[in-house]
Amino acid sequence: MTDKNTNSKYSKKYKLSLTNSKLFDAIKMIIAILIALAITFVILCLVSDDPINALNTILFGPLTKRRYIGSVIESFIPYAFAGLAAGVLFKSGGFNLGAEGIFIIAGVVVAAIASAPVTTSSILHPILCYLGAMALGAVLMIIPSFLKAKFNTNEMVVSLMLNSIYAAIASHIVRTYMMTAKSNSVASKDYLATAKIPYLYEPYRISICLILLIVVTVILHLVMFKSRLGYQIRLSGSNPKFAEYSGISAFKLAISTAAIAGVLCGMGATTHLLTQSSFYTPSQSLVGIGFSGMLLAMLGKNNPIGIVIAAFLIKYLEQGTAVLYFVDKSVPAEIVAIVEGIIIMLISSQHFLRRLREQQLLKEGLEEHAE
Amino acid sequence: MKETILKLDNVTKVYPNGTVANRDINMEFEKGEIHSIVGENGAGKSTLMKMIFGIEKPSSGVITYKGKEVHFESSMDAIKDGIGMVHQHFMLIPSFSIVDNIILGDEPKKGLFVDTKEAAKRCQELSDKYDFELDVNAKVSTLSVAKRQKVEILKTLYRNAELIILDEPTSVLTPQETEKLFDQLRFFKQQGHTILFISHKLEEVKQISDRISVIRNGVSKGTYLNDELTMEQLTNLIIGRDLDNDMDAYKTHEDFHNEKALVVEHLKMEHNGKGVLNDISFAVKNGEILGVAGVEGNGQIDLVKCIVGLQKTQYEGTIKICGTDTDKMNIRQRRDLGMAYIPEDRMGDGTAGDLPISDNLISTYYTREDINGKLFMDNKKIAQVSDDLIKTFAVKTKSAEASVNSLSGGNIQKVVVAREYNTNPKFMIAEQPTHGIDIGSAEFVHHKLIELRNAGAGILLVSADLNEVIDLADRIIVMFDGQISGYFPDGNDVDESSLGMYMLGAKHQSAEEIGGALND
Amino acid sequence: MLSSLFSTLFTMKFVQTVIRLATPIVFAAIGTFVAASTGIGNIAIESIMTFSALAGVLGSYLTGNAWVGVCIGFIVGICTALLIAFFSMKMGANAFLIMIALNTFADSVAIFTLYQITGDKGTTASLATPILGTLDIPIIKDIPILGEILSGHYILTYICWILVILLFILIYKTPLGMHMRACGLNPDSARTAGINVEKLQVFSLILSGFFASLGGVYLSLNYLKIFSKAMVSGQGWMGIAANGIANGNYGVLLLSALIFAIFRAVSIIFSSSTAFPVDLVGAVPYFSVFFLLTLVSIINYYRTKRGKVEEE
Repeated sequence: MTDKNTNSKYSKKYKLSLTNSKLFDAIKMIIAILIALAITFVILCLVSDDPINALNTILFGPLTKRRYIGSVIESFIPYAFAGLAAGVLFKSGGFNLGAEGIFIIAGVVVAAIASAPVTTSSILHPILCYLGAMALGAVLMIIPSFLKAKFNTNEMVVSLMLNSIYAAIASHIVRTYMMTAKSNSVASKDYLATAKIPYLYEPYRISICLILLIVVTVILHLVMFKSRLGYQIRLSGSNPKFAEYSGISAFKLAISTAAIAGVLCGMGATTHLLTQSSFYTPSQSLVGIGFSGMLLAMLGKNNPIGIVIAAFLIKYLEQGTAVLYFVDKSVPAEIVAIVEGIIIMLISSQHFLRRLREQQLLKEGLEEHAE
Repeated sequence: MKETILKLDNVTKVYPNGTVANRDINMEFEKGEIHSIVGENGAGKSTLMKMIFGIEKPSSGVITYKGKEVHFESSMDAIKDGIGMVHQHFMLIPSFSIVDNIILGDEPKKGLFVDTKEAAKRCQELSDKYDFELDVNAKVSTLSVAKRQKVEILKTLYRNAELIILDEPTSVLTPQETEKLFDQLRFFKQQGHTILFISHKLEEVKQISDRISVIRNGVSKGTYLNDELTMEQLTNLIIGRDLDNDMDAYKTHEDFHNEKALVVEHLKMEHNGKGVLNDISFAVKNGEILGVAGVEGNGQIDLVKCIVGLQKTQYEGTIKICGTDTDKMNIRQRRDLGMAYIPEDRMGDGTAGDLPISDNLISTYYTREDINGKLFMDNKKIAQVSDDLIKTFAVKTKSAEASVNSLSGGNIQKVVVAREYNTNPKFMIAEQPTHGIDIGSAEFVHHKLIELRNAGAGILLVSADLNEVIDLADRIIVMFDGQISGYFPDGNDVDESSLGMYMLGAKHQSAEEIGGALND
Repeated sequence: MLSSLFSTLFTMKFVQTVIRLATPIVFAAIGTFVAASTGIGNIAIESIMTFSALAGVLGSYLTGNAWVGVCIGFIVGICTALLIAFFSMKMGANAFLIMIALNTFADSVAIFTLYQITGDKGTTASLATPILGTLDIPIIKDIPILGEILSGHYILTYICWILVILLFILIYKTPLGMHMRACGLNPDSARTAGINVEKLQVFSLILSGFFASLGGVYLSLNYLKIFSKAMVSGQGWMGIAANGIANGNYGVLLLSALIFAIFRAVSIIFSSSTAFPVDLVGAVPYFSVFFLLTLVSIINYYRTKRGKVEEE
């Protein structure tokens, strides 16, 4: 009993001070966002004639129309999946950057299944698309992680090379086997109607994939923080030698996290293709999502819920710039990448705002020693 | 009246994480003396030396060197002013030659380039002058530990150091090598060098010092003439209480029917065609501590890696843990046989520094039923287990949720020992279990090892600290050059210097005698 | 048709193509190598090349002088390197994350800048940009075969090979290079020898940024003569891969870079033929990197297992 009392006494004391790391992280995040917005404003001042209105439009533009809100929600889901995939890999200490290529080549599978009369059921058809993409995603994501775990191959370079190779293969397959006569560009046939994903809320054009994302996020959160696998991932990400010493097989862990990440990429690719297009273009449809996912994972600090929130916020900002672009052609959507970059660099800086915290710790250290 | 070369006034060091390493230290060092600084591990000796050598900056206080107040920005400044330091962990680059290591940072130049000929000449002259018997063109990776230490000392002499700091220099040496080092130190003293000798081995300190300064818990406890101080007084100054060295009193002697926790037979392994483990055979019985003595780098690390299953290189021979052949088993499978392992590198291998203590306390048995629910881990139970362990092992922390990084070395080691202890091991490997931790924690760890032994576990104690091996072990083997060079069936019936002969390879027992390590 | 393609592989033209294509990869490789010598893994080579390629063109366009463009290009490259140094060393961020982030939004930042100046999101084709030319070496150019191989290349190619030699001398012959290697092999021992490790690491990052940026500038001001989106397309990574294969061996570093260039040349020549699937031929260089890197790591794995341990 006495133990509990002293514990709660301590926790009270530390909740109020900056030595509490959660509170500190939150403050850090808010200040980082404010700094990023300030820098954005400076850039807007340089490029735009009406920077105040421009910033205003970026921040609040998406709320002005129903269509915009729907578009944010619809488009952020695949990115959230990519972010979750990167988060799992990063958290386990891996630097497998293969999501980009896997998104693109998984698209081939989705397009192939969606445009073929494999079933007449409009429930089964999208599910088959998902399963196909997820299976391929898992298998391909494992390759760099396997090579790293078994032979200590540089997974970063290998996965990036595979990205280019997969993109080439995807383009080759579509060009050779899936192209329609009517189109000039390298693109697949249209999907069949049965492959379409039903809406969850039609007026905003929000598909039921939102539910899928929420379910997956909750499961991932539980896996990360409650399960034995999550424990292994955290341990291995923090100190791989310690994980090995503890008897956690680095090999098995690398394979299983890669498989999970691959499955998530497959989900993201399918969601994106079936909700946002009616055919697949390898050079356009899914390009950039995998890489964006890595940035989202960094923004969300590899925490599943954090990643989903980050994905939403970034897509919201992108929608804001898109709205702005209608009225002010001087500000292209790429400005969001700059905002994103600044926030990532600041929040991943452990020494950012460190002074504040250190002074507190120093004081406590001296006080304690005096006792 | 002797000349004061170095003076510390109210020197205080507080680390950014809040640890107070030194507080108001006042000391004076005279030119041409051998001045020892003693204190427990973790008392703050190393931090003090780092400040003198410019690696750390004092938070407050004044350092006066040769009559001038100094503020070293880096060790470069200290070196320029004639201060040299031989670190406890050698600061050498194995793939560089001796010459390159010595001249690094102060190279003789020929135009824009390094003058390699001149460098070799100067180094060889220096080595010959002090009778170091080194071939300066050899690669450091081929040298023995004692020779590497000589290279370290040469480094300071090459830079004309007047004040030489030696941080725990004898911890890696055999008694014989220590004797030789002391002769050299006396020679340096004659030449007018001032020696700062850092150690926690009191006998050596008494043997070599002119004066002795004591640090306890970061605070100076005064400077004394060696002749005016008895061993007992010194001990009391250092720890404030009497040492309890007699571990035998705590040992019980139950009969465990000669069952073996570990059997190693004909273990062989090669690196680059050179045998690093050459036909090693021994056994650890249930209810005993088998000590492995030896100078670092004679195959102990490889031996341990082979036994625990972390060896990346293939080896020959058999290793049986609790009666089961471990051929091709990984560390998880070996742990499941009842093995526990306290690793030498507690920060690198034994803990995840930025994770909470609670996570670190369960890592080797996180799948065990009592801390798991059906689908997920039982966080409440884990909290309970870790709180219990923190209490039993007296880990000094605010809560189990604090990160391991926030603990002191001794407390981190307690976390490691607590976790391994809590796996209820039948066989434990303790690799340098008290290296670099304070005496209080070390004593605690020793008691826990004895406790395990008394309960019937077999313990393999690998330690470079001879006193530790002699105090704890029931039987002792000595390793030299990848072989067992000596076997002592009674741990109470050995002395340091006879072990030292085997550690150096000066003596080697016959195959029958060594066979006892396996068959007794 | 096919045989004529293969026969081009053994002509002077092919050798010249390889030398041209090798230049940016070698720049990237020595950029990675110099950072690695002090223990820094610079994986931002790709983004540095992108930034400087654009900065070089814009600088050249705005000042009307290609050499000023080159200078602006490497100033931007060095600034990017300093940005990495600032965040990873001063701000305590994970250097890998910072560099992955940089690589990931490098294209976006480049496009944003490009758009502000040209109003185009794809290339600088609309800008009248002074560029760098080729160099004929007197006397040598008249020697048969040798003249064809050594003479008539882009100016930055020559600068590249000069820098390769200078870097070798710096790293292996000078005190500074010895200090740098010491930092990479054992930073603690370098520190106690009075070497300012952080300073040298920043210095090596600056050099790394300098080399990588010349690779970028070579692409935009010398070889392709414009900046276009995604023009670096993995050449920075090839340099990084070459460094990974070399494992500290300068000769192997250059050899690997050359091998990648050969595969790029093969890919370019074969893509002109309809006999091969165009997409797959384009991926040949990437596959060669993947294959070589994997092969080398598998060999190293079995060497370790057999007890052939490399002493550090």
